[in-house]
Amino acid sequence: MELRSYIIRRLLLLIPVLFGVTMFIFGISMLFSPIERATLYISDPRQMAHLPEIIEMYGLDRPFFVQYGTWLGRVFSGNLGWSVVVGMPVFDAIWHFLPATLELAIFAAPVIIFTGIFFGSTAAAHKDRPLDHGTRVMAIVGWSLPTFWLGLILIMVFYGYFRGLLPPGRLGTPMDMVVNSAEFIRYTHINTIDALLNLNGPVLLDALRHLILPVTTLAVVQVAFIMRLMRSSMLESLGKGYILTARAKGLAERVVVNKHARRNALIPVITVSGYLLAGLANGVVITETIFTYKGIGWWAWQSAINMDIASVLGFALFNAVLFVLVNLVVDILYTRVDPRVRLGGTVQ
Amino acid sequence: MKDLIRIKDLSVRFHTYEGIVHAIDDLELDIRQGETLGIVGETGSGKTMTALTILRLIPYPGKIESGSIIFLDTDRRREFDLLKLSEDKMRAIRGNKISMVFQEPGAALNPVYTIGDQISEVYLLHRRNELGHRAKQRVDNLLSDGGGPVASVKRPFWRWQRRLYNKISQESNPFEPRFLSHLPLFRRLLWRLKNEANLLAVDMLKDVEIPDAARVAIHYPHELSGGMKQRAVIAMALACSPDLLIADEPTTSLDVTIQAQMLELFRRIKTDRGASVLFITHNLGVASEVCDRVSVMYAGRNCEVASVKELFLHPSHPYTKALFDAVPMPGKELQTIPGELADPLNPPPGCRFHPRCPNAMPVCQQEKPKLKEISKDHMVTCHLF
Amino acid sequence: MTDWKFTVRQIAKNPLSVVGIIILMFFVVIAIFAPLIAPTPEGHLNPYMIPREGYSATPQPPSEEHIFGTTEGEYDIFYGVIWGTRSAFQVGLVVIGIVVTIGIILGSLAGYFGGVIDEVIMRITDIFLAFPALILAMAIVAVIGPSLRSVMIALTIVSWPSYARLIRGDILQVREEDYIEASRGIGASSGRIIIRHVLPNAIYPTLIMASLDIGAIVLSAAALSFLGLGAPEGYADWGQLTSFARNWIVGPYQNPLKYWYAVTIPGLFILFFVLGWNLLGDAFRDIFDPKLARR
Repeated sequence: MELRSYIIRRLLLLIPVLFGVTMFIFGISMLFSPIERATLYISDPRQMAHLPEIIEMYGLDRPFFVQYGTWLGRVFSGNLGWSVVVGMPVFDAIWHFLPATLELAIFAAPVIIFTGIFFGSTAAAHKDRPLDHGTRVMAIVGWSLPTFWLGLILIMVFYGYFRGLLPPGRLGTPMDMVVNSAEFIRYTHINTIDALLNLNGPVLLDALRHLILPVTTLAVVQVAFIMRLMRSSMLESLGKGYILTARAKGLAERVVVNKHARRNALIPVITVSGYLLAGLANGVVITETIFTYKGIGWWAWQSAINMDIASVLGFALFNAVLFVLVNLVVDILYTRVDPRVRLGGTVQ
Repeated sequence: MKDLIRIKDLSVRFHTYEGIVHAIDDLELDIRQGETLGIVGETGSGKTMTALTILRLIPYPGKIESGSIIFLDTDRRREFDLLKLSEDKMRAIRGNKISMVFQEPGAALNPVYTIGDQISEVYLLHRRNELGHRAKQRVDNLLSDGGGPVASVKRPFWRWQRRLYNKISQESNPFEPRFLSHLPLFRRLLWRLKNEANLLAVDMLKDVEIPDAARVAIHYPHELSGGMKQRAVIAMALACSPDLLIADEPTTSLDVTIQAQMLELFRRIKTDRGASVLFITHNLGVASEVCDRVSVMYAGRNCEVASVKELFLHPSHPYTKALFDAVPMPGKELQTIPGELADPLNPPPGCRFHPRCPNAMPVCQQEKPKLKEISKDHMVTCHLF
Repeated sequence: MTDWKFTVRQIAKNPLSVVGIIILMFFVVIAIFAPLIAPTPEGHLNPYMIPREGYSATPQPPSEEHIFGTTEGEYDIFYGVIWGTRSAFQVGLVVIGIVVTIGIILGSLAGYFGGVIDEVIMRITDIFLAFPALILAMAIVAVIGPSLRSVMIALTIVSWPSYARLIRGDILQVREEDYIEASRGIGASSGRIIIRHVLPNAIYPTLIMASLDIGAIVLSAAALSFLGLGAPEGYADWGQLTSFARNWIVGPYQNPLKYWYAVTIPGLFILFFVLGWNLLGDAFRDIFDPKLARR
């Protein structure tokens, strides 16, 4: 009961934030001329010739709030405008490019989380010894790396020096043909999952091969962050009284660390996961661009370069909504993980 | 009767950046079977460190430099030096034969696990055979009753469980259950162990007079009041009926009324279970309520140890006398002990108390006094005797 | 402020922070003496535009004339990275300066006065924080038109909310302390209280965050320039220089690492610059946190 009302309360709070977000985005678009804004309202290239009529029709020279209202109405009906760079409506473009990014995220997120937690715990367990200092340096360097530069270097080494061992893009040409052929059924448009569902080994391997570098690039910076956080969280947890109690019970050190300390140390790490996702969204744009990996990040970059306002705004809106929802999920998850943040009250 | 614990020549030092800290300094102390021995002293006198040393839980950078702690294992009628045991054997003793209760019950309990879980953890660790045996009996009952609609499907699983539990009840670390516990689905076969442990945990909670024990067991520490938490911690410590229960200032953080109940609980522990209790406190009054004998510690040494009555009537060591004098009484001028607490980094030579002692003699500066018996069961560490 | 002596000694004890300071001093020297290290050729109007040798599309390897080689379009890499140091400092310090100022002002208002002002400012920060930083920056730059100035504006808009929140949080904490009550008791005005009592205590975590953030700001600016949304082509900016290398990551089959200098060198400058600030910020955090605990 308590949980349900909490969710409802948060979702209700979501609404004013979304209003603010959309108003801000719309406000940015008002900086454009009416002609450019007209592109937000068309969903077919042939309509481009009729821009003056569109301006007239949608009152693009009318006051701000009127326009905002009509724009909002259009957004609710799913019409986000026309994406010039890829020649399809913005809404469709998002759905078209999303699977690729999802694939990256599905592989990157566990890598980041588990690697970060593992290294962070180990660093804490070996505090002030060489392993700890080593990971600390690794973390600081990783945190200072320009993501785009790392990507370029990785390509230089693994694609250039190692003669095409790990290539950019999503799939090699032969596999691409297989995937687009009639025999290959597209369930999710996520290459790895579809390959599994189609029981097609070679496609799966090829997709994985293409994923290694982008995932690594995405992961390095985030792992550094999580690693440091996990370390300090573990150290704090290990200094607590219940650790001494656990040892006094006769538990083996391994159990003390894994069962008692880590469970508590994970709590702050989970709350930070929301920020992790934001970091992913940032990194995705750069990573997809460098590796020519056609996901929404790549699409966003193309749009930004070509001043395709409709696309850029659509992308920003999509991101904002996603971000707010993810934070909500993380907050709820947090209440499940930390018993103190639940129904309180004392037992007499 | 033989002593349960004999501490001799114990020295524990901390090698820190700033120097060597003498936490425990040539300590000699005995704990008898079935008695409640109190250790009284100021902060920094080494009381907590003594407790931690018995369990060998001294934090880094502490080191046990010398001495022995002979522990009498009543089950097997053997004696061994706790300081020479391997870590494995030491772990078998912690929580099992010797257990400890800490000062802050809130800090001692892990906030993310239920009370029941934390107590049953002790049973799962030290009483696996017993749990296996009980679980096996329950499965036996199921098998003989034979009832239930889908019994024919469940039977093979029951037989499998019975075999597993049987192994657990007899062997000390059987392979098959251990292997299965690592596999996600098969782990379920061993659920009865946890179940039995939980039942025993609830029994234990009842023993320490927690009302509505079954409900309390499924709650989390932050949902309990201070007194309840402390009882839960005591339940955890008494779960395996230890020979020695060490209680480090167990009542200090509690309300006075709860304190009284707690002391009553400790008195009962002695009479019902016959366990020895090492009761650490800085409060002479509390010590007098609950202890049989009391030892006074200063700067890591045992100054005086005697029965409660004897100590209160005839305090002999100058420090003990000063402590009693310092107790505020209406109408009496407030007495303090002159001088400063002995610097742990640079303790005074010879007797640690001599700079503050009104009866100091030249020999006090040169030689450390040894524990001497001055009357029946009354021992003092002082050159005056 | 005899705390400063203690602080300096603490910094000296921590080897990593010393390394960070050395790195940063190295960059400061380069930035100051840029005209001497990489002199602008005669007749070249804007020293921030990298001089070109010619118009060859292929990057040329390091030679006597061009110590680090040239990029696609024959821009001198050495000149670019040296003057790029100045751009980096410009972007980092200006953005952080403005962001911290805005953050302090708005955060103080929200924290000290509470109520409606607090709610409004907090909702506004919520909105901004609902966007992943780079994406919002991208959107803003796309709207205003790419240039280094729009990058700075975009990054400022994106970064101030975190500082406002931080300052507000600190002020909320400090506000409850007794000496504030005492000040009010003897009649000090709100403004005076904020400036003289609240802010000095709230300044430390801000310092920590700011020094860590300069690195992040420069990284984001470089990323935006790399993507083509920042400094114009040929401008002395590290990200911009790296973007030149995009087409030349992999050389011909026999010598795939042929154009390594075009990619590696500007990137290394970025890496070490950010590393220096991160080491410093990390050191600050180690020093100031225990101090905060002691207060």
